Amino acid sequence: MKRNYTDKRPVKMSLFVLLAAGTMLLTARSTVLAQGIQVNGFVRNYMGVLLNDGNTYSIIQNTIDLDLVHSTERISLKANPYLYHYADAELEIDLREVYMDVYFDNVDLRIGKQQIIWGKADGVFITDIVSPKDVREFLLPDFDEIRMGVTALKADYYLGNHTFELVWLPVFTATLMPEEGSIWRPAMDFPITPEFDYSQQEVEASLENSETFVKYSAITTAIDFEFMAGYVWDDDPTMHIRKTMDPQTMQLTGLTVTPQYHRLGIGGGSFSSTLGPFVVRGEGAWYAGKYFNIADPEVTDAVVKKDYLHYLIGVDYTLWDIKLSGQFIQQAILEYDEAIEQDEFDNTATFLARRDFLRETLTLELFTYVGLNNNDALIRPRIYYDLADGLEILLGANLFLGDEGRFGQYSDNNMGYFKIKYSF
Amino acid sequence: MKLHIIISSILLTLFVLSFSSFAQKPLSGLEVIQNVYNRPEGKDQDGTLTMTLINSRGDQRVREIKQFIKDFGTEEKKIMFFISPADVRNTSFMNWSYDAEGRDDDQWIYLPALKKVKRISSDSKSDYFMGSDFTYDDLGDRHPSDDTHKLLGEETFNGEACYVVESIPKEEDYMYSRTITWIIKDKWIGLKKEFYDENDELLKILTVEKYGKINDYWIITHSKMHNVQKEHTTDMLLENLTIDAGMSDDKFTERMMKRGI
Repeated sequence: MKRNYTDKRPVKMSLFVLLAAGTMLLTARSTVLAQGIQVNGFVRNYMGVLLNDGNTYSIIQNTIDLDLVHSTERISLKANPYLYHYADAELEIDLREVYMDVYFDNVDLRIGKQQIIWGKADGVFITDIVSPKDVREFLLPDFDEIRMGVTALKADYYLGNHTFELVWLPVFTATLMPEEGSIWRPAMDFPITPEFDYSQQEVEASLENSETFVKYSAITTAIDFEFMAGYVWDDDPTMHIRKTMDPQTMQLTGLTVTPQYHRLGIGGGSFSSTLGPFVVRGEGAWYAGKYFNIADPEVTDAVVKKDYLHYLIGVDYTLWDIKLSGQFIQQAILEYDEAIEQDEFDNTATFLARRDFLRETLTLELFTYVGLNNNDALIRPRIYYDLADGLEILLGANLFLGDEGRFGQYSDNNMGYFKIKYSF
Repeated sequence: MKLHIIISSILLTLFVLSFSSFAQKPLSGLEVIQNVYNRPEGKDQDGTLTMTLINSRGDQRVREIKQFIKDFGTEEKKIMFFISPADVRNTSFMNWSYDAEGRDDDQWIYLPALKKVKRISSDSKSDYFMGSDFTYDDLGDRHPSDDTHKLLGEETFNGEACYVVESIPKEEDYMYSRTITWIIKDKWIGLKKEFYDENDELLKILTVEKYGKINDYWIITHSKMHNVQKEHTTDMLLENLTIDAGMSDDKFTERMMKRGI
């Protein structure tokens, strides 16, 4: 989220807040430890500078993230409160997760707000759609911070290394989008400035509107695999667009955009296996009845419902101590209509290279998303260094290449950033 | 009668000679290493592993792991839960290794930040484990068939009568050109091991600081790996050891990797 960041207080101010909060936490920690609650977590300072915009700050964020666990043999309680303090925005305090685990011989129940992660893909969401995403800062935060907790009942039945999982979400939680004015707000191309009507955006909390997911997964000596299905809500809203025309001139005089959520059926699976020194991964899903925007004036609301495929193949390999990983991802709209705004086939590739040095205290990493349809990319070089056990500094950059597309649209948002994180 | 005496004498001589030849026949290098490989260590064991990494300035970093191992006959399963440092807490690692010659291990890692169990390649056995002086291969049971073994002789080391065996890997480009191991004769414990790099320079020395009999099994509980080229040492301590407690097969599952200790 782009904030004003007119506040030019020196960096030490935010570090002071961070350190003060950390001290309080550590004091509190010893108290709760004595009460049988295990306390872990981290304290972090994160500063980002826009490289194309006079070195203004894209973010100054202080974080406290706690992991509170109380366990017995059959029951475990967990809470993951977090606090984001910004230099020029309201303090954000919430619970990422808060749930209870009940363990039986072959069954585990997890009840409460939780992150549920599926699939074998890295950095791509294909069957991994149970927990919606917080994309207020695009895909830049750590993945455990991008994924939002959902209120759910999750039941797992185990048969050795085979797992049958049922997830029921009584309440729909949507993707958390960047606010208006944010530098991460996705580009929307309209001929005139539209009016937004948010009246249809609410999905009423009711039994009829709940979501259900099932999964069967196994790990074996030859292959690991998952099969999943769900009757869900699309986490991203469809933009229903109504045009107002001047009847005499036939000129466009008004646009009303009504974001609305729709039901989806989904079925898919994933696998992972080793072939000599290679790990081969694949994941795919069929989405039944996904809505797309269409530039056909005859179509009501400028939306059309189509089935859609999303799949990936990836390979991991280590060469000269460098861990390499590549993925090719394709999204395909079935029974395509030429007027649909999204391409029939949308191709993306990801590439990761990582190497540790100095006894795993220094890590160099390069992660890249490449949009093959628009020749755009997000390049993320990062250097991690452990100053001491649990105390890590991170220097990185987010470089957006191209003029359009999922990544190119942010070409003005190239940024360098610094993070310091203490885990306890 | 004379013939009978001659035949009896020849047979007796042959018997005595063959017996003495059998009694004195030295073990081969391969047999010694096979005895080490086959030394019984119990059906299952769990314990806490503490690794202290000490650099040339004496600075120390500590890594603590809870590990569970079970022998399933032709395969061995191991699961490790990382306790410290804090930034790797709740990470778990599972390894299934197989007796079958040439069969690669299966390995998985659970990363709590990703909340996902990932299959990884076991090809990186030369990677150092958690920044220590032990590679993944050093920590595992290297199959005797992976090397060519030669008995160099017998020596007394730390008061123990030992076989000295040189092992040369069959695999080209392996991280060590050879190793030399001092093995206690009656216990089949490697008391000391020297590792030579690709240029045949001494790279590391592993020494056993403490071993003992637990549940009738000879178990190494304290060892040190010293990298002589980098002046770096890893002290490895195995504590709270339980053997043959009847560990459940279900300990070695994705469920347990995610749940943790």
